[in-house]
Amino acid sequence: MEAVIIKEKIKEVLVSILEHENFDMRDELTAADVDGWDSLSHMMILTKIEEKFNIKFKLRDLNKLKNMGTLVTVIQSKI
Amino acid sequence: MVFNSFNFIVFIIPVLLLYWIIFKRSSVLQNVFLLLASIFFYAFADWRFLILLIASILLNFYLGLKIHNAEKESKQKMFLNIGLVFNIGLLLYFKYFNFFYEGFFKALNLFGLDSNHNTLKILLPLGISFFTFQTLGYLIDVYNEEVKPNQNLLQFSVFIAFFPKILSGPIERAANLLPQIEKKRLFSYNIFTDGLRQILWGLFAKMVIAEKCAEIANPIFDNFENQSGSLLLLGAFFYAIQLYADFSGYSNMAIGVSKLFGLQLMRNFSTPFFSTNISDYWRKWHISLTTWMMDYVFTPLSFTLRGYQKKGLVISIIATFILVGFWHGANWTFVFYGLLHGIYFIPLVYSGKMNKSEIVAKGKWMPSFKELFKMLALFVLIMLTDVFFRANTVTEAFNYIASIFSYSLFKFPNELLSSSYIIGIVLIAFFTIVEWKHRERLHDFEISNYNIIFRWSSYIFIFLLILFFGKSSETFIYFQF
Repeated sequence: MEAVIIKEKIKEVLVSILEHENFDMRDELTAADVDGWDSLSHMMILTKIEEKFNIKFKLRDLNKLKNMGTLVTVIQSKI
Repeated sequence: MVFNSFNFIVFIIPVLLLYWIIFKRSSVLQNVFLLLASIFFYAFADWRFLILLIASILLNFYLGLKIHNAEKESKQKMFLNIGLVFNIGLLLYFKYFNFFYEGFFKALNLFGLDSNHNTLKILLPLGISFFTFQTLGYLIDVYNEEVKPNQNLLQFSVFIAFFPKILSGPIERAANLLPQIEKKRLFSYNIFTDGLRQILWGLFAKMVIAEKCAEIANPIFDNFENQSGSLLLLGAFFYAIQLYADFSGYSNMAIGVSKLFGLQLMRNFSTPFFSTNISDYWRKWHISLTTWMMDYVFTPLSFTLRGYQKKGLVISIIATFILVGFWHGANWTFVFYGLLHGIYFIPLVYSGKMNKSEIVAKGKWMPSFKELFKMLALFVLIMLTDVFFRANTVTEAFNYIASIFSYSLFKFPNELLSSSYIIGIVLIAFFTIVEWKHRERLHDFEISNYNIIFRWSSYIFIFLLILFFGKSSETFIYFQF
């Protein structure tokens, strides 16, 4: 799946959980840059992403998720 | 040897001189010397457990390399598990054995079985809760490929045993401290003086504020059955301030001493009482412990329970906080303390207000009424919960709190007019104003931006306060953990 399409889907997840669109889906985007994306909503976001792409993250993947770019790469490696 | 003792001055001055004059040439020399000084420091406090500390360093160093070099994931996991069993095992044996042992016999009693038993006399090795958490974090980081294992036993030993933090933290992370130990440290006048400032403020917090509060709170707690509700409320207030001043003061001293050697430890307190909700408070209270718990307990747990949505989060938070409480000691009071804090998070989880808040009243002199109200309400909640932290048993804590909320709560406490209380309150007010003023700075007494006259008059003023009101005691609340 292309990165652009993946990002589009991630954005839908973020909007549905965080209830706002005040962020820009660049590769360097980190959770700290986004209002409401904290350690608690993080898990809900990951669960929604798993459902959307029909994948399962591993605990070890979690540490690789440094920013939007790495999130897309990890998702790509699982589809 | 505590930081506020004569022994420590005798120790630190020659160590600093030798470090910056003789051993400054390379990182190897600096590290050899720091390690020797740290071993001496630890042995001076309690030589009996030096072997344990050394064994822990050697085993964790070796396991870090083994985890990294193993090719198969199953092998990596095996070495990690050996490390977890060893480190957690140490902690369980030394700190919690009697707790579980007694609990077991109490359970037998419930079934009417015979229970003639004696608890074992187990001495608690100094700093064990701090250094085992540091080694645990290191191994998990290596396993998760967050950090590369350190290949140099000397550097690794300094990382674990570095004396300013060995007894009571901050609980350091490999990613922060190891890179600093790997490099040669250059003397920086600014860092050195900043360290001295931080030590001065730590000394003030401990020797003046914490000691004064202890002097007032101790008799109230020791004889709480015969006190009026209003006095018990005051007792809880002074204890809450004591606990904060004691441990944040200690942390400032530890971080300050470390700066004198050119090593920057992590921040441990960031004016926690200036928070408007419980989650903010915990982001600022004993930061090295809470971030540790976040990364190694809460995250994996909430990840495992992520399918249960908010319920999963609540369970993870409560379990994490029970562990935070239990980390302090093998007593049900600490378990309760943690449980209560976990419960306070529930409204936040359901209202979705877990966001990291901005610094209260950022860029302003004063908070708004709403902010002030929220801070006060939070403080009262924390102060009442701290009664569990102080009490000897859970029942005692409940009785203490129940006695606060009696008719005698409205009786004016005459003690409030005594000179001891008035001095205490004035000193606390001064302490609070200074901390409020610097809540946006890198530490509570980071005043490098003021002019030289103001800076020096502040140092002299605080020094005089310590001289007049300071008391020296050889114990810190957090040493028992």
